[in-house]
Amino acid sequence: MIDRTLLVALREVFAERRHPDGLVAALTFTGMVVLLESLALGPGRARQPDVASGIFWIAILFSATLVSQRSFDRDLEDDAIDAVLALPGGRDAIYAGKVVALGMITGLVAVAAGVMAILLLSLEIALPLHLVLLLALGIVALAPVIVLVHVLALRVRARVAVVPIIAFPMLTPQLVAATQGTAAAISGDATAALGWAGLLAAFALVYTVLGVTIVPAAIE
Amino acid sequence: MIETTASPFPAIRLRPWLGIVATALASIATWMALLWAPTDAAQGDVYRVIYVHVPTAWLAYLAFVVVFLASIGWLWTRRPWFDALAVSSAEIGVLFTGLFIVSGSIWAKPTWGVWWTWDPRLVTTAIMFLMYLGYLLLRSLSIDFESRATRAAVLGIIAVVDIPIVHLSVLWMNSLHQLPTVMRIGAAPSLDRTMGMTLGISVIAFTFVYLALLVERMSIERVRQQRVLEGRS
Repeated sequence: MIDRTLLVALREVFAERRHPDGLVAALTFTGMVVLLESLALGPGRARQPDVASGIFWIAILFSATLVSQRSFDRDLEDDAIDAVLALPGGRDAIYAGKVVALGMITGLVAVAAGVMAILLLSLEIALPLHLVLLLALGIVALAPVIVLVHVLALRVRARVAVVPIIAFPMLTPQLVAATQGTAAAISGDATAALGWAGLLAAFALVYTVLGVTIVPAAIE
Repeated sequence: MIETTASPFPAIRLRPWLGIVATALASIATWMALLWAPTDAAQGDVYRVIYVHVPTAWLAYLAFVVVFLASIGWLWTRRPWFDALAVSSAEIGVLFTGLFIVSGSIWAKPTWGVWWTWDPRLVTTAIMFLMYLGYLLLRSLSIDFESRATRAAVLGIIAVVDIPIVHLSVLWMNSLHQLPTVMRIGAAPSLDRTMGMTLGISVIAFTFVYLALLVERMSIERVRQQRVLEGRS
């Protein structure tokens, strides 16, 4: 399964490299959010760890949804998804591959947005390694749910509207954990940062296992 | 291969009796809640909302656990009966989750001074409400019967993860909401005996109301399924 998962993930990444509209949209969106943040809230409030991390993770959530949306749009164009479904082996690899690819692309967006936020908001990070861990786990916790909901909404009327309605409530606990953990890493609370990181890891594990186990049944 | 006939389920035959028992129990529970149970020393009569609030909370959990089990049943057996059970329970669950939020809000105003506050229990319950609205939305937008049932079943299984989060949110996070008084892990309910009995009868009455509604709604859904499946064959 790992070979097929990597195959699907690489296909997604190459498709995004050839036509990087999802990545460009996500980078532009997160960049705009970081720029507007200090304008809307004022530089003092925008620099507060909980505010900066909250806005950052909301931007990442929307960006990941955009990237995934574009990936499925691409598959639906000219019925390219039929070729994906024709891949030998189970459909669990298609789901897992899309999760891996979304994680990689969203990771790229998160690094770019994170560096931009640190520089533009003059954020001082007390625990940089904890921050990197939380960033990685946050993305790993978001990706399985976003891909899962996109699969469920595939070929459904009003798909673009349905995905956020279903996915965002499901992602609220992950969003809270990522925001609180990132704020703790910025302000230097190692115990809280690791606690929230553990919760994110648990969510990532639960949704990945559930996704790989039952989502293939819904892929048509 | 899915069934194309609507085989009767024993509960369908109990339909009239469930309604009668639910009405009788609801009448007894109303009398106990309003007249028999003593007034609370701290909150006065306001606390009596508990006899609606806790049963609706229980039913919200129960309804979505039934959705979860019915979803597994559909994916496992492909019997339309399970799909009818899932959608019926989800609709009733959304109704009772709405009542759970509204009754909590009515109780919050005199005790906390606000209709709504950003408390973990309130927010997670609102999220659960939205998730199951999303479940019903997904169903309403899918066209093909089997595809709709399968997608909804997957979502019904995934969404159940939120139920423990709602219940345990008051333990995990700083909360204005009181800690669980009835469904306490590893401890007996911390409630006066008379109040506890009244609450118990209310929970049983509401459960019968849920069952009566479920059977009625399922019978409608089975007729709808029958038409769809016969139209296909």
